[in-house]
Amino acid sequence: MTDTVAGARTLELREKGPAMPGRRSDEVVVGLSPAFGDFFSKTIVGVPHADVLRELLAGVEEQGMHARVVRFRASADLAAIAHAAARLSGSGIGVGILSRGTTMIHQKDLLRLSNLELFPQAPLLDLETFRLIGRNAARYAKGESPEPVPSRNDHMARPRWQAKAALLHIKETEFVRPGAEPVELDVLIRTAG
Amino acid sequence: MTIQSAPGHQTPAARPRSRRTELLEQRPVNLDGFVEEWPEVGMVAMDSPYDPKGGIRLENGTVVEMDGKAREDFDFLDRFIADHAIDAAAAVRAMALSPTEIAHLLVDPKVSRQEVLSVSCGLTPARLLEVVRTMNVVEMMMALQKMRARRTPANQAHSTSARDNPVQVAADAAEAGLRGFRELETTLGVVRYAPLVAIALQVGAQSGRPGVLTQCALEEATELELGMRGITGYAETISVYGTEQVFCDGDDTPWSKAFLASAYASRGIKMRFTSGTGSEVQMGNAEGKSMLYLEIRCILVAKGAGVQGLQNGSISCIGVPGAVPAGIRAVLAENLIASTVDLECASGNDQSFSHSDMRRTARLMPQLLPGTDFICSGFSAVPNYDNMFAGSNLDPEDFDDWNVIQRDLQVDGALRHVPEAEILAARDRAARALQGVFAYLGLAPISDKEIEAVTYAHGSKELPPRDVLEDLKSAQSVMDRGITGLDIVKGLDASGFPDVAEALLGVLRQRVSGDLLHTSAILTPELTTLSAVNDANDYAGPGTGYRPSGARWEEMKRLRHVVSARNPEQEVDR
Amino acid sequence: MAPEELDPRRDYPLASRRPELIRTPTGKPLDDITIEAVLSGAVTADDLRITPRTLQLQAQIAESTGRRQLGQNLRRAAELTALPDEKVLAVYNALRPRAATKDELLRIADELERDYAATLCARLVREAADVYERRDILAR
Repeated sequence: MTDTVAGARTLELREKGPAMPGRRSDEVVVGLSPAFGDFFSKTIVGVPHADVLRELLAGVEEQGMHARVVRFRASADLAAIAHAAARLSGSGIGVGILSRGTTMIHQKDLLRLSNLELFPQAPLLDLETFRLIGRNAARYAKGESPEPVPSRNDHMARPRWQAKAALLHIKETEFVRPGAEPVELDVLIRTAG
Repeated sequence: MTIQSAPGHQTPAARPRSRRTELLEQRPVNLDGFVEEWPEVGMVAMDSPYDPKGGIRLENGTVVEMDGKAREDFDFLDRFIADHAIDAAAAVRAMALSPTEIAHLLVDPKVSRQEVLSVSCGLTPARLLEVVRTMNVVEMMMALQKMRARRTPANQAHSTSARDNPVQVAADAAEAGLRGFRELETTLGVVRYAPLVAIALQVGAQSGRPGVLTQCALEEATELELGMRGITGYAETISVYGTEQVFCDGDDTPWSKAFLASAYASRGIKMRFTSGTGSEVQMGNAEGKSMLYLEIRCILVAKGAGVQGLQNGSISCIGVPGAVPAGIRAVLAENLIASTVDLECASGNDQSFSHSDMRRTARLMPQLLPGTDFICSGFSAVPNYDNMFAGSNLDPEDFDDWNVIQRDLQVDGALRHVPEAEILAARDRAARALQGVFAYLGLAPISDKEIEAVTYAHGSKELPPRDVLEDLKSAQSVMDRGITGLDIVKGLDASGFPDVAEALLGVLRQRVSGDLLHTSAILTPELTTLSAVNDANDYAGPGTGYRPSGARWEEMKRLRHVVSARNPEQEVDR
Repeated sequence: MAPEELDPRRDYPLASRRPELIRTPTGKPLDDITIEAVLSGAVTADDLRITPRTLQLQAQIAESTGRRQLGQNLRRAAELTALPDEKVLAVYNALRPRAATKDELLRIADELERDYAATLCARLVREAADVYERRDILAR
């Protein structure tokens, strides 16, 4: 699964223990799906999870905010993960991401089935978009009302990716452990020689 | 489990490749996605070892066991199908036949459609699956040719706009009507635009050719409200699903849908359900059953609810069956089974399916050649980027190809070539009629500049932008003021379009008589109802059934460019 | 009114073959629905509705062409003509999964029967209440 091309980044996620509700009002919680950066190493279009996470975190930090990464094993449902992340977040803002790349920004006071921003078309999400998603999450956390990240659409994504997306979803669901508590992670992203 | 790497993607750099491989890699078909089968989770078209075996046991006319499951273990679909869809009186005799014997009844032209129905009404979901499993696609097409409910095939188009521009929707609706579509469907980018766009679709449709039926795909309750007001003419996006979990996720049950079917009929409005292979596995809840088995359960829920018809053929999940072996065979089998249980079938071909023109066409042939009630349940009458149903298998750029294929094979695809002057006149008239109606109702104005632009335009990019906030205010006022179809009739008459007003009133009058509530009903341009009751499919082998002839065949012979036999230096008038 | 024996081959479409059998809810024949009548206000949106009697006739046509379930649907529809639009939507919403308790569904069924003589619809709702209970999809 791991392409060790020179310059490629590796991702190491170390479990620190149960994730607790944050007290810092300047934090954004990034919630990872059960198999993100674990069984799976890249999105549906092959963007490495190491790079995805790096851009999301950089987007948050460039706004002077703090990012905390949490693994959610209890569900592979994006809205559930994003909402749970928001509820752990000291600012009330969370980002949820599935292994295939589908991403959502959520806020703890919204209904679970609602959201601040949703990026449903995983095949169209590139590194620049992930950076912008991190940035917008941080700006919501600061109490700003940023312009939503421009959404893209491609009707031909369906014939190309629909079945693979279904496989990825089913596979990710196999890693769900109902009732599992969220776990806080240390993130190590290294550049391979 | 290995997941096939996406085609057209990075390949090991070092190894030299043949020039031919390089060329093949660049073919559009290699942009499509293909996956391996995985029957345990339902990623399999129609041949899963985990599908149940067909069987039935009755006690005092009640189904107590079906497809190997006892009544007390029935989920809600089993229960609904057993109690409402299956004709217990016919079941014993029908289930005694082997799958091959039933398949022979389907294919043999000497066995009448009515005889097949007397058997099919007693079959369980698993038995229907076993029947089509014995059939190849040519046999299925033979069967579909006979089992389609309406004798005369028809077609449906999408008319939408990326900017929800009502002027565009009206003009494209008029053109689509003129080209032969008898049903038109729209939906929205911004849902609040719905009332304006639904009015535009209705006005455009009736200006193009009278009697075209229109609908606006929305959330169930809103769709019903627009129908009750007479702004739309029928409904279709009433989705049903093949497992209990996914049905509940869709916030419905077979009983709520059956009630909704009666609700539409109680207002005299035609409606059909929608379902298709792949939706359950897509949502990760296929219960380890094949896509077709689950779809057959949907078909029988529609049958049991007493709704006259069904849109199926995978529909919005076409990328899923399209990616597995025999998936497109399964999609044909869906259409065939809907017809075999005597439902109107609007047979898909309505969603972006392939990057390859060759594959798009191959996917279409099994519905086009035998003919169905609606060959496309959404031929896009607008460019792909304007299609708010996420694209179709057929686009307006395909109009001429379609007309040529009809003429080549003498197969009626229900469309025709129309000279440009007539199309421009219809587009202009539709936009002017809408301008008049909006002015009459005090809605956001339509300028002459917009009308000029839309007459010659292909898509929304070529149109002046509308004042969206004003439009949305108008849309809200349509709902708040309780505007109905009759107000549109008055507006058309007042603004100098009495014939369009007459056509719309004619469509509205239909809901008083209820003739359109019957299976496969459409209105002809003369506003006569044509359904499986008075236009029943009578195919019985060579020389029988519907064959394009007479005036219709002469119409099909016309194309954009045909060299004149009388004077080969010229082309035939078009 | 005497029950009418219809022959689908002879009598369908009713609008053109048996127009004398069809009335709007306000008692007008189809021919009275004209542009002039619409403009003068003699015909209103209330006229553009189907009557229970017409639905029963169409149900008969459906059944005599072998379409039992469609016939049943049209007979349920005949009952629902008496319900106002909001009531129809309310019953539909109550039938959605986890939207109503068993008691609520049974009360709706009783009301349909008592206030609207909608016995077929009441039967459908009672059946739903039973199945929803077995399958655990009632409101808690």
